[in-house]
Amino acid sequence: MRRNTELGLMVMAVAVTASAYTLGALGTTATIPANIGPFLGAVIGLFLLAHLACRRYAKGADGVLLPLAALLNGIGYVFIARLDKKVAGLQATWTFIGVGAFIATLVLVRRTRDLSRWKWTFALVGLLILLLPLIPGLGYGVDARLWVRVGGLTFQPGEVAKLLLAIFLAAYLSERRELLAVGRKFGPFEIPEGRDLFPLLFAWGASLIIMIGQKDLGSSLLFFALFLVMVWVATERASFLAIGLALFAAGAYFAYHQFQHVRTRVTIWLDPWKYYNGKGYQLVESSFSMAWGGLTGTGIGRGHPDRVPAVKTDFILSAIGEELGLIGTAAIVIAYLLMVGAGLRIALRTEDPFSKLLATGLTTILGIQAFIIIGGVTRLVPLTGVTLPFVSYGGSSLIANYVLVALLLRISHETAVRAGEVER
Amino acid sequence: MNKKIRRLGLFMLLCYSALFVRLNWLQINEKSAYDDNPLNRREVLRDFAKPRGTIESVDGVVLAQSIPSTDKYELQRVYPKADLFAHVTGSFSLYFGSAGVEQEYNDILAGQTTKQSLKSFSDLFVDRTNVGDVTLTLDSVVQQVAKDALGTRDGSVVALDPRTGGIYAMWSHPSYDPNLLANHDFATASAARTFLNNIPSKPLLAASYQERYFPGSTFKLVTATAGLESGKVTVTQPVYPTETQYTPPLTTRPIGNFDGERCGGTLPEILRVSCNTAFARMAVDVGPVQMVKTAEGFGFNQRVPIDLPSPARSVYPPLAAFDRNTPKLAQTGFGQNDVQATPLQMGLVAATVANNGVMLVPHVLFEARDSDGELLEKPVPRVWQTPMTPATAAILRDAMIGVVQGGTGTKAQIPGVTVAGKTGTAQTDTNPPSSHAWFVAFAPAENPRVAVAVLVKGVPGVSEVTGGQLAAPIAKAVIQAVLSRPDPLPNR
Repeated sequence: MRRNTELGLMVMAVAVTASAYTLGALGTTATIPANIGPFLGAVIGLFLLAHLACRRYAKGADGVLLPLAALLNGIGYVFIARLDKKVAGLQATWTFIGVGAFIATLVLVRRTRDLSRWKWTFALVGLLILLLPLIPGLGYGVDARLWVRVGGLTFQPGEVAKLLLAIFLAAYLSERRELLAVGRKFGPFEIPEGRDLFPLLFAWGASLIIMIGQKDLGSSLLFFALFLVMVWVATERASFLAIGLALFAAGAYFAYHQFQHVRTRVTIWLDPWKYYNGKGYQLVESSFSMAWGGLTGTGIGRGHPDRVPAVKTDFILSAIGEELGLIGTAAIVIAYLLMVGAGLRIALRTEDPFSKLLATGLTTILGIQAFIIIGGVTRLVPLTGVTLPFVSYGGSSLIANYVLVALLLRISHETAVRAGEVER
Repeated sequence: MNKKIRRLGLFMLLCYSALFVRLNWLQINEKSAYDDNPLNRREVLRDFAKPRGTIESVDGVVLAQSIPSTDKYELQRVYPKADLFAHVTGSFSLYFGSAGVEQEYNDILAGQTTKQSLKSFSDLFVDRTNVGDVTLTLDSVVQQVAKDALGTRDGSVVALDPRTGGIYAMWSHPSYDPNLLANHDFATASAARTFLNNIPSKPLLAASYQERYFPGSTFKLVTATAGLESGKVTVTQPVYPTETQYTPPLTTRPIGNFDGERCGGTLPEILRVSCNTAFARMAVDVGPVQMVKTAEGFGFNQRVPIDLPSPARSVYPPLAAFDRNTPKLAQTGFGQNDVQATPLQMGLVAATVANNGVMLVPHVLFEARDSDGELLEKPVPRVWQTPMTPATAAILRDAMIGVVQGGTGTKAQIPGVTVAGKTGTAQTDTNPPSSHAWFVAFAPAENPRVAVAVLVKGVPGVSEVTGGQLAAPIAKAVIQAVLSRPDPLPNR
């Protein structure tokens, strides 16, 4: 039943992708692309495979997440192909690997709970791979040092680490949430016992410090939000939220006064025009790009989004805004909101605390990450670079997000099985 | 935990609502402000990626066209005649905006006029843009003659049809190659622009209509018109005293003739020999009110309604400037002091005499047609000013014939053609003495087809013969060139 819904939605996602691809080629070269047949075949084959994997391994799972991911991935691919033909092939390869990782996750993670047994391993591996970019000769980056290069392949450890840390947090918090929720009175606050709190603070602090050291503000913000939301949901204690937000405010104040690159972000957020010939260029061009699109956009291939630096990765929404207009950007925003809704519904329905927390954490990652970068590109909030999930060019991001969706579907399926809606 | 998860959902909903509102603000509300921001290159880029009509001279020579290019703009604007028509066509630059006809007739060239857009709309399913092609009144042969005649001297040549206002030739030296500015490579284009901007003689500005100079004795045509129109001067009266210098009222500093020459007499005589003292007297006799009225009647102190961007105003002092300042008035009588004119303006003065006292609106557009050959625009002769009666024009014409036949402008004589002209030498420096050499003329005097203004800038010497020596031969060559070409109005 849900799988049929999924299949129907998948057909629509593929249809949107294929027509956008055709229109993109018409817009740039005024010809129907020669490879439209093979392209359509590959897209249908790939997503059909993902769908069949769901039918086989997670038939009771939510039917909306995968089509939405496919739609975002498809639109992203169309724009990457339109912006840079050279990397389009790479992105296609990454999509294959991403869908492969999706299927592999469904196959390998047969029971979500099994993951919680590995929580310390995940935490350790997460922190270690976060450290990789700091190793000389291995890590690199322009503004922020957040990439690892092995041979010709590059890899962004932060994308994978966020999943590992979400699993760790879900496992740790589901075990000790009662212990953390009570503690000694300390003025108006109740502070949990040190032995319960310490591992949590350590993981939180270490990951934040590493990323601040790498000047990766976007991921720092994302991790901070992830920890905060998960602790708050697990303990149901508003005081943690208040403490966390106070810490955030203090940290932001400190960073603003202590780090030039943080100050720059705020300055160009408030008035990018003044710094057009410098750091503000990207934001100004992004605003021009999206405004030029207006309501309906110029049509794919008919705008000039290539004027925006990093338009294939963090700023890909500018290209969508320019060439598909408000209709396109609103569609993207709604797609994320629907994914967030589906993810939180999964979290609500599941009975198992670990699964509930994991679903909440994974959904938070997806929702906050998309918000951070869309808000940054549109100057709603200061720009901190993260990828737009499923849409931006980049292998690690794509793989991590497909795994994220697979985990959500696995949890959803388990709930359906437990409720007797489907057989195992 | 579910309560918190629901709250989280609410929070996310708020975040995404904020994004949606922000996107509306950016893409709808702020759209026009961002689109028009000078830093935004997209409007220029849009025009660059589109086909654009050609600009041709009246004799069918391509002056500007868009040819396929290998870069992302797909089209490159080229100017096959390089510097020859630069000040008229302007250049279509990706970085510095456009100028000249490229700017003035941009809508037609880019197919943006309502007429063209409507036509494109009806061709909705045919893949083409209805660009417009522009034909100029300028003749490539005459323009080349003007360029060759002026040579390497700084200055300007303007030739126009007094019967229509159509410009035959408009050349200024130094000029520039518009292809340099139209280059799509920013470094190349901006280096060229910086280089051109740093040349003191300002090649990017058209000396013909964007800069003004002391008109010297060519302005005596204006003073004579004021005299004739006021009724205080006729062909026979007054007879100005023959003298070497004249001291106007309210000063002790006399005005002298060039080289201490003695001159005087009636209007035809003083115009023939270009007598400063007599025209100084005439300006004082006529009075400031009539002088200002006539000068402004010729278009001084107003924007010339030519179809080219940013023309300079020619200036004559306002009435208040002559309050208790008769010496100033006297000096303006022979085109010194605060009188300044563009070569185009002085060409229009000659054309007005040629056209029985009626000054027509000057224009460079012959016609514009869309890609189907359908006429979009074709200027008809329009009156701009009528500074004199036909009777005055007839008197001045005869006097100007006298200048060429036996006065300061004999170098402009053409066998078989009656040329009417006036020389001018505007002193610009005393040590060493230097001046602008001028000559304005029209021909054939009985049935004029062409009026010309020639300016040679900053030549050594201050003799009245300077204008006749240096500028008149250039005018002669240009007049001969125009008369050798087919008449654009063959029925007359």
